[in-house]
Amino acid sequence: MDTTPSPSQPPLKPLTPQEWETLIDDHHHGGHRLHRWISSNYTSQPLFDLSLSSLLRKDLPLSLKLLISSFLEQHVTSLSPIPFIHQNLIHLLDTLRHVINSPIDPVTITYSLKEQLLISTTSIFIIFTINNNNNNNNSDNVKLSFVSELEGLIEVLLTIVNRTGYGLDRQLRGVACECLRELERECPGLLSETVGVKELRRVMSFLLEWPQYLTTFGLFEFMSVVMPVAVALELQASLLKVQFSGLLFTSDMLLCHAYLGMYLQFPEAFSGHENEVVRRVLLISREAQNALVFRLLALHWLLGFMGLVMSKTEVDKERIFGTALQFYPTVFDPLALKALKLDLIVYCSVMLDKSRLADANGEMDSNVGSSKGSVVKLFEDALESVSGFKWLPSWSTETSVAFRTFHKLLIGESSHSESGSSTRDLVESTIFHATERMLVTMTLESRGLIPVMAAFINRLLRCHKHRFLGEQLLQTFDNHLLPKVKVDYRLGSYFPLFGKIAENVTVPPGGLLDLLGKYMSILVEKHGLDTGLRSWSQGSKVLVLCRTLLMHHQSSRIFLGLSRLLAFTCLHFPDLEVRDNARIYLRMLLCVPGNKLRHLLSAEDQLPSSHSTPFFTVQSPRFSYDPKKSKDISSYIHLERVVPLLVKQSWSLSLASFNINGEKPNYMEVITDSNTPLWQPETPEENPESPSIPALEGPNQSQEPLRVTDSKVSEIVEVLRKHFSLIPDFRHMPGIKIGIQCTLRFESEPFNRVWGNKGSAELDLLHPALYATVLKFSSSAPFGSIQPYRIPFLLGGPTKNKIPSGQSQSDSLDIVPVNNGIVDEEKEEESFNARVLIELQPKEPTPGLVDVSIEANAENGQIISGQLQSITVGIEDMFLKALVPDDIHHDEIPGYYASLFSALWEACSSSSSTGREMFLLKGGKGFTAINGTRSVKFLEVSATSLIQAVEKNLSAFVVNVIGDELVNIVKDGGILSETTWNNDEASGSGLDVVAVDQYMTEGPLYLKYDEEEDEKGSNLHINKRNMGRFHILIFLPPTSHLLFQMEVGVNSTLVRIRTDHWPCLAYIDDYLEALFLS
Amino acid sequence: MNSSCSIRALWILNNQDTVLFSRRFPVVERRWNVAVNRANKRCKGDQGFIVLPSSFPTDSEIAAAFTERKKREGSALGYGIRAKQSVEGSDSWVDDPIMRHIVSLHVKKEENGEDYTFWPLILHAKVQYYILVLPLVEPEHLKAYNTLCRRSDCGNGVGVDGNLSSLLLQLPCITGAFMVAHVLGDIITSDIPEPEVVVSAGPSVGGLLDSLTGSIGISARPKPVAPPVAASTNSTAIGGGSLASDAPKTGPRNLDKDALRSFISTAMPFGTPLDLNYSNITAIRTNGFSPADVAPVDSKQPAWKPYLYKGKQRLLFTIHEIVNAAMYDRDEIPDSISVLGQVNCRAELEGLPDVLFPLTGLDSKRIEILSFHPCAQVPEQGGGDKQAVMFSPPLSNFVLLRYQAPCSIGVPVKGFYQLSMVSENEGAFLFKLSLMEGYKAPLTMEFCTVNMPFPRRKVISFEGTPSIGTVSYTKHSVEWKIIPSGRGVGAKSIEATFPGTVKFAPWKGQSSDDSGSVQGGDEDSDTEIEQGNSMVNVEEYLVEKMNKHLPAVDLEEPFCWHAYNYAKVSFKMAGTSLAGMMIDTKSVNIFPSVKVPVEYSTQVHSGDYILWNTLGKCPVAATPAN
Repeated sequence: MDTTPSPSQPPLKPLTPQEWETLIDDHHHGGHRLHRWISSNYTSQPLFDLSLSSLLRKDLPLSLKLLISSFLEQHVTSLSPIPFIHQNLIHLLDTLRHVINSPIDPVTITYSLKEQLLISTTSIFIIFTINNNNNNNNSDNVKLSFVSELEGLIEVLLTIVNRTGYGLDRQLRGVACECLRELERECPGLLSETVGVKELRRVMSFLLEWPQYLTTFGLFEFMSVVMPVAVALELQASLLKVQFSGLLFTSDMLLCHAYLGMYLQFPEAFSGHENEVVRRVLLISREAQNALVFRLLALHWLLGFMGLVMSKTEVDKERIFGTALQFYPTVFDPLALKALKLDLIVYCSVMLDKSRLADANGEMDSNVGSSKGSVVKLFEDALESVSGFKWLPSWSTETSVAFRTFHKLLIGESSHSESGSSTRDLVESTIFHATERMLVTMTLESRGLIPVMAAFINRLLRCHKHRFLGEQLLQTFDNHLLPKVKVDYRLGSYFPLFGKIAENVTVPPGGLLDLLGKYMSILVEKHGLDTGLRSWSQGSKVLVLCRTLLMHHQSSRIFLGLSRLLAFTCLHFPDLEVRDNARIYLRMLLCVPGNKLRHLLSAEDQLPSSHSTPFFTVQSPRFSYDPKKSKDISSYIHLERVVPLLVKQSWSLSLASFNINGEKPNYMEVITDSNTPLWQPETPEENPESPSIPALEGPNQSQEPLRVTDSKVSEIVEVLRKHFSLIPDFRHMPGIKIGIQCTLRFESEPFNRVWGNKGSAELDLLHPALYATVLKFSSSAPFGSIQPYRIPFLLGGPTKNKIPSGQSQSDSLDIVPVNNGIVDEEKEEESFNARVLIELQPKEPTPGLVDVSIEANAENGQIISGQLQSITVGIEDMFLKALVPDDIHHDEIPGYYASLFSALWEACSSSSSTGREMFLLKGGKGFTAINGTRSVKFLEVSATSLIQAVEKNLSAFVVNVIGDELVNIVKDGGILSETTWNNDEASGSGLDVVAVDQYMTEGPLYLKYDEEEDEKGSNLHINKRNMGRFHILIFLPPTSHLLFQMEVGVNSTLVRIRTDHWPCLAYIDDYLEALFLS
Repeated sequence: MNSSCSIRALWILNNQDTVLFSRRFPVVERRWNVAVNRANKRCKGDQGFIVLPSSFPTDSEIAAAFTERKKREGSALGYGIRAKQSVEGSDSWVDDPIMRHIVSLHVKKEENGEDYTFWPLILHAKVQYYILVLPLVEPEHLKAYNTLCRRSDCGNGVGVDGNLSSLLLQLPCITGAFMVAHVLGDIITSDIPEPEVVVSAGPSVGGLLDSLTGSIGISARPKPVAPPVAASTNSTAIGGGSLASDAPKTGPRNLDKDALRSFISTAMPFGTPLDLNYSNITAIRTNGFSPADVAPVDSKQPAWKPYLYKGKQRLLFTIHEIVNAAMYDRDEIPDSISVLGQVNCRAELEGLPDVLFPLTGLDSKRIEILSFHPCAQVPEQGGGDKQAVMFSPPLSNFVLLRYQAPCSIGVPVKGFYQLSMVSENEGAFLFKLSLMEGYKAPLTMEFCTVNMPFPRRKVISFEGTPSIGTVSYTKHSVEWKIIPSGRGVGAKSIEATFPGTVKFAPWKGQSSDDSGSVQGGDEDSDTEIEQGNSMVNVEEYLVEKMNKHLPAVDLEEPFCWHAYNYAKVSFKMAGTSLAGMMIDTKSVNIFPSVKVPVEYSTQVHSGDYILWNTLGKCPVAATPAN
């Protein structure tokens, strides 16, 4: 074993019987166990040679030789490399001849060795000499190789077979016959010369006369040979019928199966016997003496058989019904058997129901009533056998079997293939209605089944074909279950089902809201000292359902009911948290446009790990807070904007603030979303179709002017085309990014209180540090995915408000190196701050919140993780300068901007003739169109402060300054650059570079700018005096623009606004007010 | 219909997922590859799924795939029907109980990492062994299965195209493979079932080997082989359930691989079974043929009768019945009692005679013949009720016919069992039974025992004295021996009552006994409080409480036994058939005519003979009205 054979491959060292067995085992096992044999060359050809020589050795035990022979047979393809095949076959045939011709002795040459060697040799010959060359599509070309060796083998076999009259070796002769049969099977016609046709006839007629003399498998083989012949010759099936009918009555399963096969081959000959066959096969399933699996097989045959037969023959209802009764499961039938018997009953019910429908469509059927009753009773009775599922735990096997049957009952005959019959018919069927009733009753009686029911409905809902069945079921539950459930504490167990109802748009939410309302009032009523926790839990669960409703239904549809329910909860519910959350939902329902609301809520659903604002997490009791780590982390670790936002409040901000202080907001903004008609709670009747937006003129698409392309328009279009071709299409490539500068800092003292090690040195405590900090960002606003930001090291800073008075108080502050005011405070602070850049890639220019979570290591290896205060992104963060083409020189830029401004200004007017123009974006894949909207804003602010504010905050975007007076003031300031100066234009003469739209002042504006409003005061008169105009061009990523034309007066300014992204106007109002009026 | 019944390979694994034995049949495998190549060539144009030509798995790959399947399907046999855990592509996704027995394996080849799906693999579990048999099907069958197990919809309806049933109807090779698997299971556990033939009051009569070794006449056998009927129905009631099936069991340590190999090489030398008769094959293997074994000159010798009997002739029949009963003792639920019987036969007859066995009169007793032995020539119109059946008996003991019937004479044990929980840990019970009411001689009841199983509670003590017999208890049951074995009584009516109480150890939710797959999970705390308040009945309370920890049973069980309280009656009777089956020995004729003694005996065993607690829940099944 240790000696590796030399490359010239001398014979391998013989193996002991134990080694042989290990070798064979290892070859079967494969993998690593094979490797050592391969490495010592006990593989391939050398092993083949060794095997053959071992077969002839006298000292090896017989059982081992049998094993080696069988091993050779099973592994010959890997043991005999192709070049050696010929030589090996010769060698093998010689070995066979030697063994066969040796006289029998009880030890070395026995019949069993001869038999085994015959089998193995034949096997190996079949593998190597018979090649199926199926190049032709239909017929297999069988090609023989090594023909002379094959003939040698056949000769040996025939010699054995023909040695008749010698009784002792008849088994060996049988084996030789079997070998010949196998050769002939693999190569049909191989032995045709050997066996005469006459003989063949004799054998055939003998076997046809005495099939019962064959063994079970022999008879089966014979039938499988005879059957195709009978079909091909169009033999009279009656002959076969007489000879083989008895097979159906034998206890041998294979013979029964053979009978069924014969039946299906000659359906005409056997027609009329269907019921006998059904009855008979059913009896097989009752033979408890048989192994269960055979009884199951029999039932499957029945299903298959009935499917084949009944689809062809006319259905006799009485017969089917009678048959169905036979399928009733018995008490002691194993559940597997019950399940399949139920399948059969379902099948019969479906057939009966189908024939009833067919009858009803034709003439009046007197049986309709009775058969309807009986079909339902049929499966109700049948289900008795698993009725334990009503009270057994929901995971019981009985439950699985019962619901499997319900599923089959519901979907009936409808297959999932597209060509299947109209499934809508199902809903009309008696069975469907009966099943629905059963399910409702069951759910009322056994609450334990509710989760199963919910899963069951889900299974249907997820199916492309049967989704409507699930919806139909939900509607049934809504109609029939909700009015009947008892409203008490146990109602909570129905919530999985209610959740499904709430999610589904096809179910009107009214009933559910009604029920939840009742439940809430009962919770309120029953609340007492000992029910605190329960009120909280049940109340929270109701709110989860409310949230589900919010997410899946149009706000208008649920508004009345839900607002009532939430308002009631806000006012009366005993638990503070539930009240608070109800208030948040109510506020969301009132203030947030439907689409946005659903987006907000669903984003939370998809990212359960990054629960942004705490109120969502509290809402669903599933998420537990780690109080130590995440609760207060935001009170001493701060991420703050470098440049604070001008606008402190917007709707998104106010939402976040609800949670923190629970106060009502100062005002509510009503914004519609495009899908949901606006629902105003106060005056619901008043024209809910047309959205009314304060100081905002919606896109007026119905008034489409005729398109006339003149030279001016084409010039505008040209400018715009050029401009848009610079804007990257974020759908196909990285879009334009905006960055928000922030700083991260944290306060040492509270940090140490939570994370500090008591044993560590005081100095460490003073300046704790965060290592490997990762800030992760997420947002429900359309900002794309935001890259996390990493800060390798950050030192803790002093707690701001404590520094001035800190000296004498806590001992830890005794040696604070920072003192008040003397050291350059700003510089000192710098070292405690880390710069953070949040890069957003907005898909829509909108304000929003960016939720921030932190992960860091503390000094002592603890992992710090939690939520920080969210970062507010304002509309002004979206303000970018328009892109400039590369071919524009630096000094040409002001001119370019000015012409771009004019073009956009024109394009954004509602009467614009560019409205239908599509502009190709960069990347050449996406288009955009300009859909302009206009607005105005009147600002009562002095020219001086206005100009200052513009210079401070909007200087980069000013593209044109018009009017002497204004130009002079601004030029003096020296802040504006890249601007076109238009001194020449007379102030006040023309208000606009382009034609003023006369609708402007007649629109839905509350401002009366230039006339008849004198009563209010003299200010307006003064306003009339114009000093000039600013033209401001702001690019809003990804593809929109915001244009201001500020008509600056001494004491007031009128801002005309145009944009091709109208939703941004909602924020601009606030922005302008904050910019100029505060 | 696929005409052949061949086997590509078979494997035997133990419960540690190690392959103990494997056999590949290269000739059949060659046929598979030829078929695959042909099929792939045919469907080259369409983008139908192409079956890979086989690259045959090694034992270790099969073992790995088996382990993976076990993980995927929850246990070695699997869920069968679609469960929460089922995933697309798994067997249970097909949603049929038979998927526990016809399984697929996804084999990952070590050398190239490619995945091969093997289906249909016949899985037969026997004691601690798993036998896998892979029959040869057409590639389109494998495709059809792939469609079934990967469809993303809600599951198949009944009677629709392309369902599992029509597939199974088309594939007799699956049926044949099951037969192979069962025989192999019997061989490796040395549990070869042989129908028991009893001569009146004598020991069982041996089989083929006894006749061959020349022990003509009745030979005492060390261990009478239990008839398969009794074996299949006994074990389920106590300690059943799915939990035990995958647990390591003790059993024969080493396979007798030589016996397996020699059986296989004779029974299916090339992978196509020729004959699975173990006793014939063993006899030929061990004895061969002697010059004395001469073929009969006047008739042909059947393949299933390799040897002819020589010696004193006689014909023996034993009627063997199993009686199952669900006794409710309630007005609204009728008791159900049914008899499952078989006629075992041993024909010690010289030559190749035919025997005519009368079936007259069976109809009046509502006896329904289920099946005949293949050696019988069944009259074409099948019904066993009118005529006689002619058979040419094989050499060993065999089951001539099987039947079922209602109980035609009185109910052997009737009465009621009541158990009421007087407190959480104490139950009061009462039995009132009458045995063999109205029975007449010749009949004896050899023993009768009543067992009250409490598999989920621990019995601490019991009190009470029965009117007859003795009582003992174990950890999980109380046993009442009304008639101890060895003291059989003749046909006389016996009244037996047994009032008493049984005390249990306090109920512990997750007792060690039913740890494992308690899948309950989140209980709603709210509902629990509610129950505590409103539950007045301690029994209902207890049932609710205990049900939370009920494990799900296997699909092989008829229902969740552990959910019910019941008493199981075991008895054995001799002397009369409960179904009323009679053999008129005078009408049994032998052709060619010869005078031989014909004897017959009768045995009745109890199967699932259950007295349901009259005061508790019980499983029921509706019986059709007519």
